[in-house]
Amino acid sequence: MGDKPIWEQIGSSFVQHYYQLFDTDRTQLGAIYIDASCLTWEGQQFQGKAAIVEKLSSLPFQKIAHSITAQDHQPTPDSCIMSMVVGQLKADDDPIMGFHQSFILKNINEAWVCTNDMFRLAIHNFG
Amino acid sequence: MFRSSDTCCVDALASGHRVMGDKPLWEQIGAGFVQLYYQQFDTDRVKLADLYYDDCFMTFEGTTVRGKNDVMAKLNSLPFRSIQHIITAQDHHPTPDNCVMSMVMGQLKADQDQVMGFQQVFLLKNIGNKWLCTNEMFRLSLHNFA
Repeated sequence: MGDKPIWEQIGSSFVQHYYQLFDTDRTQLGAIYIDASCLTWEGQQFQGKAAIVEKLSSLPFQKIAHSITAQDHQPTPDSCIMSMVVGQLKADDDPIMGFHQSFILKNINEAWVCTNDMFRLAIHNFG
Repeated sequence: MFRSSDTCCVDALASGHRVMGDKPLWEQIGAGFVQLYYQQFDTDRVKLADLYYDDCFMTFEGTTVRGKNDVMAKLNSLPFRSIQHIITAQDHHPTPDNCVMSMVMGQLKADQDQVMGFQQVFLLKNIGNKWLCTNEMFRLSLHNFA
């Protein structure tokens, strides 16, 4: 995969997989979290795979499409990967909204899982 | 400011114990760091060096630099004289490796430029009894609108 550092390959593959699952069938997202995972969704905190999937599944839209504007990835001192995503989303017939999302990925038993996930809409961030 | 008073902090962080009122420890650590970081950034960003781990990473608008010296060189080379950050929202998490992850959304005003939105993420780690930034990412939000 060329010159890209390994953490960028892993981070961008994860990001692609995550939004693809989210946009097609978000009830399947449980596969990427573990029981110790934390999610903060618009300031609301959830811990554990079950609670996170329940929250994501109960979001009040039928269809959603994410498009990524920019993504950054870094290795951490504990061999995790931190990823930050800036993008736009369209939920049902709502207007397009900007969003910010950050992840920590950790390799557990040969698989990369998401241990930390933070999401915020960008709509409140303008003067 | 970021010296943890005892070694129990990291255990408390992992187990989710709440101390000092209702706020979890990782929120106190994260919010304390965020407040100090922007305060120093807005008054004298040379002093930010105290907050970074020697082998830290920073990605600034898509460009990555590694190591405290390179991070400080990047921050000091930013082409504005005065800057002011305002925080719109901040979130903090404990991580499985006893770090604290913080995400900040805010607005900034540099010199006479118009106010711009920004997004920033930090990973903080307790090293030598001090909470230091090991990873940081910064993006302006201005390219994110249709």
